[in-house]
Amino acid sequence: MFIINCPYCGERDQTEFSSGGEAHIVRPKQPTELSDDEWAEFLFMRKNIKGIQFERWNHSHGCRKWFNVVRDTSNDKIHAVYKMGEKPPANK
Amino acid sequence: MLNFETTVQDSKSYGDLTLSEVEPILKINLRSNKREFSTKIGKLLSIIPPIEANTSSSNEDYSILWLSPDEWLIYSNNKISYEQQNLLEENLFKNISNMNQGSVTNVTDHWVMINLKGFKIYDLLSKSSPYDFKNFKMKKGSVAQTLLNHTDVILHNIDDNNLNLFVRRSFSEDLWLWINDSARFL
Amino acid sequence: MSQELRINNNKFIDQTTRLSFKFNGEKLYGYKGDTLASALLANNIHLVGRSFKYHRPRGIMTCGSEEPNAIVQIGNDPSLTDPNVRATEIELYEGLEAFSQNCWPNVKFDIGGINNFLSPLLPAGFYYKTFMWPASFWEKYEFFIRHSAGLGKSPSKPDPDIYDHKYYHCDVLVVGGGISGIMAAKLSAENNNETLLLDDKNTLGGATIYQNNDCFQIDGTHTNYWLEKEINKIKNIKNLTIKTRTSLAAYHGYNYLLAKENLTDHLSPDERKGKIRQRLWKIRAKKVIIATGSIERPLIFNNNDRPGIMLSSAIKKFIDFYGVKAGKEISLFTNNDSAYETAISLKKSGVNIVSIIDIRDKSSSKIVKEVEKHNIKIYWKHTIVNTEGYRKISFIEIMKLSDDGSGVIGKKIKLKTDCLGISGGWTPMVHLFTQSGGKLKFRSDDNVFLPDKNKTPSDQISIGSCNGDFDIKDIILNSNKDVKTFLGIENSSFDNLKVESSKEEMKRNIWLLPSDKPIGKTKPFLDFQNDSTAKDVKLALREGFKSIEHVKRYTTTGMGTDQGKLSNMHALGIIAETTGTNMGELGTTTFRPPYTPLTFGAIVGRNVGEFFDHTRKTAMHNWHVQNKAKFENVGQWKRAWYYPKNGETMFEAVQRESKAARESVGILDASTLGKIDIQGTDASEFLNRVYTNAWSKLAIGKCRYGLMLNEDGMVYDDGVTTRLGEKHYIMTTTTGGAANVLTKLEDYLQTEWPELDVYLTTVTDHFSTISICGPNSKKILSKVIPNLDLSDEKFPHMSFKNSIIDGIKCRVMRISFTGEHSYEINIQSNFAKHVWELCMDAGKNYNITPYGTETMHLLRAEKGFIITGQDTDGTMTPSDLQMDWIIGKKKFDFIGKRSLYRSDTIRDDRKQLVGLLTDNPKEILEEGAQIVEKLNQKPVEMLGHVTSSYFSPNLNKSIALAVMKSGKKLKGKKFFVPMENKNINVTVTDTVFFDKENKRLNA
Repeated sequence: MFIINCPYCGERDQTEFSSGGEAHIVRPKQPTELSDDEWAEFLFMRKNIKGIQFERWNHSHGCRKWFNVVRDTSNDKIHAVYKMGEKPPANK
Repeated sequence: MLNFETTVQDSKSYGDLTLSEVEPILKINLRSNKREFSTKIGKLLSIIPPIEANTSSSNEDYSILWLSPDEWLIYSNNKISYEQQNLLEENLFKNISNMNQGSVTNVTDHWVMINLKGFKIYDLLSKSSPYDFKNFKMKKGSVAQTLLNHTDVILHNIDDNNLNLFVRRSFSEDLWLWINDSARFL
Repeated sequence: MSQELRINNNKFIDQTTRLSFKFNGEKLYGYKGDTLASALLANNIHLVGRSFKYHRPRGIMTCGSEEPNAIVQIGNDPSLTDPNVRATEIELYEGLEAFSQNCWPNVKFDIGGINNFLSPLLPAGFYYKTFMWPASFWEKYEFFIRHSAGLGKSPSKPDPDIYDHKYYHCDVLVVGGGISGIMAAKLSAENNNETLLLDDKNTLGGATIYQNNDCFQIDGTHTNYWLEKEINKIKNIKNLTIKTRTSLAAYHGYNYLLAKENLTDHLSPDERKGKIRQRLWKIRAKKVIIATGSIERPLIFNNNDRPGIMLSSAIKKFIDFYGVKAGKEISLFTNNDSAYETAISLKKSGVNIVSIIDIRDKSSSKIVKEVEKHNIKIYWKHTIVNTEGYRKISFIEIMKLSDDGSGVIGKKIKLKTDCLGISGGWTPMVHLFTQSGGKLKFRSDDNVFLPDKNKTPSDQISIGSCNGDFDIKDIILNSNKDVKTFLGIENSSFDNLKVESSKEEMKRNIWLLPSDKPIGKTKPFLDFQNDSTAKDVKLALREGFKSIEHVKRYTTTGMGTDQGKLSNMHALGIIAETTGTNMGELGTTTFRPPYTPLTFGAIVGRNVGEFFDHTRKTAMHNWHVQNKAKFENVGQWKRAWYYPKNGETMFEAVQRESKAARESVGILDASTLGKIDIQGTDASEFLNRVYTNAWSKLAIGKCRYGLMLNEDGMVYDDGVTTRLGEKHYIMTTTTGGAANVLTKLEDYLQTEWPELDVYLTTVTDHFSTISICGPNSKKILSKVIPNLDLSDEKFPHMSFKNSIIDGIKCRVMRISFTGEHSYEINIQSNFAKHVWELCMDAGKNYNITPYGTETMHLLRAEKGFIITGQDTDGTMTPSDLQMDWIIGKKKFDFIGKRSLYRSDTIRDDRKQLVGLLTDNPKEILEEGAQIVEKLNQKPVEMLGHVTSSYFSPNLNKSIALAVMKSGKKLKGKKFFVPMENKNINVTVTDTVFFDKENKRLNA
């Protein structure tokens, strides 16, 4: 069980959050102009890294805000949290 | 007028601990990310929605709880008549929602408010809430949205060892049972 | 029975309170403060069980959680009996009843003991190798194996005890209340840290609290007196919470730890009533100090498992702490100095020591010299080559070790002894450290795995003997230093302590001690509980198992309830020796939680029975209960399912309700549907993006059905949304989908479309929904709300009105999920039950019939309306559902639009929704049944399955919805639904069975 530092509410137990998968996958602005393969890239392809991963989390049992988390999947250490729309911190 | 029927309709004591449903009082959910919203509310209710996370502001009539950077819960500190409730809701709606300043939604019956009083209330909550109450309990007016027995709750510290708990109506009987069961073993 | 093995004047045992207990039916006595093990030993009972495989007699071996042999069944009440309890850990209480496990007919004469003589035929992997063939026989083998193997019986009835959970947050958690834990707790709490100190025993102080020996002194007093004073001091520190009888079970990341507190297991059954039995603490600590100590290692030699052979440290604790002599003629066998402490304790209490056998050449440490003063015979450089005694040890045979330790030389000496203490050095308890993600390093001086300081997760340290300090001087010095650094403390009351101890200078270790017999003829036990010997490990290596994890599983070494606390190190040592590997490179097996067994009760806490899951109730719930509704779980909601009258079956009730709703009027509690209030200048645009159809042109006061997709184009949810104002909508979702839909919509608003001015607020619980349906629904509504103009012109289908019932505002929608003329009243929940009753009253003369979810499902199926989650399963596109009409093809975009023409979603042979009619109209299909075309095909091709099926009372025939490959092209074709005993003939039809022209909506 992690402790996640919600950028709005502060440190809370992981049970208050839900995970939303990989971050920074932007929904294409004009999906109709994409080929099947390009659309599939957006729809299905995810990295699933061992190591530093950028993830989306939702404080679902708190402020209900979505935000980004930089987590090392090999030891669950959270290196940074930042709000939606903010730039990811430089890779350490 | 129609009969109203709340869920818990009860009050219980376990030693120094008392639990009771507070008669339905007005509750309104506000959402906004507009700059003038705060001053508008200030003018309408003589109270400013708090900007600081996990806090509230109160005057004699109302409390406003911070729920998120763009969401607040107003509740009336005292019981007010149905007509007064309507007037207030309509007034807010007219000045906020209609003026494109955010949203105003009546949630009076969405939430059931239970008052918990006594020096063991935090022992009780800690039985199924992962929240660290250390700072919450020291600061009057603190607000916490968290889980209690896997159910979403909003907690509002109104005084030392005295808090209001908001739970969704449909979950309220279930949580009331759990609270009473747990209160037996403090 | 006399207590001649009991010594007087012992401060840990209350000899004024005598307790009676039963062991295997025999009535015995002990004292308050005893464990079952110490009480049994005081009654001269060593033999407590039989070993797992060979059924060899086994006795109490340790005094703690590492006990492999003395595991007993407590009580025989079918709801309370507790299997696999360690006799060394259970505190004695009045009326305790314990039974030996794994023996039949009794522990003294056990038929399974014959396995001992067959043991040459039962090597490691015997079961794997023998019972493999023929594979189909496994079930038969398994029955006999399990029958003869069982470790205790699980209770057969529900557990009446109460268990509890509690979260706990603290600055510093100290695990273990031995000398280093006490020091750490004091330093931490005195320096302004909220501190929690846990210990699994009922008394703090670890092994030091009974270490009463001239060789070990702090500031001029014996260590035990010094520690006692410190413990008394910390009891008054405000910041410090102490929990005894609390064992740490698991150490997870982010300093999240689980600990189990025993609250009543030490009380008599009468004293337990109405109390919580065990509490699971869920601890979040900013910092953790592990001070879990170490356990003594046994020595591995021929026949080292007889009752009466015990760890030397256990013998010491039994005499010094419990005041019980483990024997009258005790021998000690050691490779280190700690057995000499036991010797002094025994000597002080007047126990005769036959001899000390030490594999080392010599030791001249202070404590050894002290022992030598007592004229105790020490056999240096000797080993035990054999032991005798069936139910209890009676003789040992010793021989001199060769210089390299690989063999024995000289004359065999036979010594009479009734108890043997063995000491093979110490193993630090690093379980918690490794569970938390820490990595170990190997110290070859004394063959121990220790926490690697460089690979320790942050915010924790290990101190004391679990960190590899075994000398009291090192323990005090290093614990003080490390805790100060860890907590940032400048000065400590432990800075200038004068500590005296006996320094161990000479070490020697032989993992498998030699015998005069060849290894094949010996029984050097490694894992006492699972009966694996050093031979088995060697066999596994010969057979090609190389990884320690494989050897463990093949030989079952370390897989018992004790998790190999005593055996793992020797198994590793023997593997390293045999394969010529360095132990440090070999590594250890994984230490998994829990450290000691947890009860299921403690794991689930209060979430049993009525608290197993939540129950959500609507405002009309009590009315449904009073009117004898049967309930259905929909998500966490309790929904009225049907209302049986006069002993009706479910089928009969649903037929009656369905008919009434179409012939006159029915009433349904639809409050569980999710309701989301939508406000903001971009509300219409938002709906355009989330639903497949167009919303901008929906007039204020009108309702529209919408279908919501996932980005993959599959139907996700559906419901009716009403335009309440220019910038104000109310959306309904399915009951089960409410929370997920809101989360999904918030996700899009916050991340993809932050530019949209839209606010969502859930009002699911604020409004209750009463649905009135049927040709007489208008009459009911006109009675309940007389002022409302219900004419089709003023209030047409798919529109809404604000209204007032008896002074209370409500919203009335004219929408229909049944195809009938119907209305939904939405009103604040606290008034809803009264409005429901008004409707019932108003409908008296029209036979108003309350109906439940089953009738609702039937009525909508007659109309071919889908239920997401029943007729869809996350793989159905709108087109698959034959709902192409709802796709706004002209819209620029909506969630899932692009996916609707992916190569896969435009395939013709996707499963598509169809109607099915049985050739025999009385025959009802089973939901989930498969549909085939050819009966004799092998394997038969499954073309689809039935998703909804009912007997329609309004059509007087059976109807069904199904999904079938290329279903759209199959109308009129005949298929089979094969069932267990028959094949049902079906014909594919249109999905709408009833009122295809929708005439009834305006009837």
